[in-house]
Amino acid sequence: MDNRQLSHDILNILERLRIMHDLIKDNNYEHIPKDELLTDLNENLDLLRTKFDILSQ
Amino acid sequence: MDKIICLGKNYSDHIAEMKEAAPDMPLLFLKPSSVFREIKNQETIPLPWERGLIHYECEVVFKLYKKNIIGLGLGLDLTLRDLQKQLKEKGHPWEMSKVFKNSAICTPIQGVRDFLNWQDTPFVLKINGEVRQESKLSKAILKPNDIIHYVDKFFPICDGDLIFTGTPSGVGPLHPNDLIELQFGPIESTFRLGNENG
Repeated sequence: MDNRQLSHDILNILERLRIMHDLIKDNNYEHIPKDELLTDLNENLDLLRTKFDILSQ
Repeated sequence: MDKIICLGKNYSDHIAEMKEAAPDMPLLFLKPSSVFREIKNQETIPLPWERGLIHYECEVVFKLYKKNIIGLGLGLDLTLRDLQKQLKEKGHPWEMSKVFKNSAICTPIQGVRDFLNWQDTPFVLKINGEVRQESKLSKAILKPNDIIHYVDKFFPICDGDLIFTGTPSGVGPLHPNDLIELQFGPIESTFRLGNENG
């Protein structure tokens, strides 16, 4: 995977994390249930670490 | 944000003022995230006046996560109208008239639950203190969930994407130094238009 695609993926994950941050900060689980949101959060944090590891190699 | 998805011809009164035939369904087009500008209150936003007439179109904006509307804003979809007319006459795509720096301006996004009955909440565009556009999303042809289903048929929807949901009647030209006010429920943003070179 080239660095440009990795950067694109990382920015998309950061965008998702920003949205999740806003929803969790506001205690807003009307659209996405809390359990699902926390699962998404963990998955995206793991994915972010993986992508950064590859990018930094 | 991956992209901005825009609806055209989603309000009957706008179709009438443009003297165009109503399509079976609203039109869809895209703007890249690079032309997006989130308003910082009281700032000046530069536009490329040398490229011809720039028209405003005030629109309710959805922010999506997992195809849910998790936030709302009020935006201006800007169009180089003379260029668009030329492109339409030639049967060419319109991107050149819709995609330019700051051509998708939007207030900061506000959570849906900060609104009371947001589909019936009036949204207002004022220019230099005068109301130019005023409507409600409930007057649009496609309703919010239908908009998402419709878009989903044609484009991959990514988390963080924005949908500009179409404009009501009252579109018109902008001018340098215009003072723009956008109001929609708890949202109030004010900015001024400037030149691209400052």
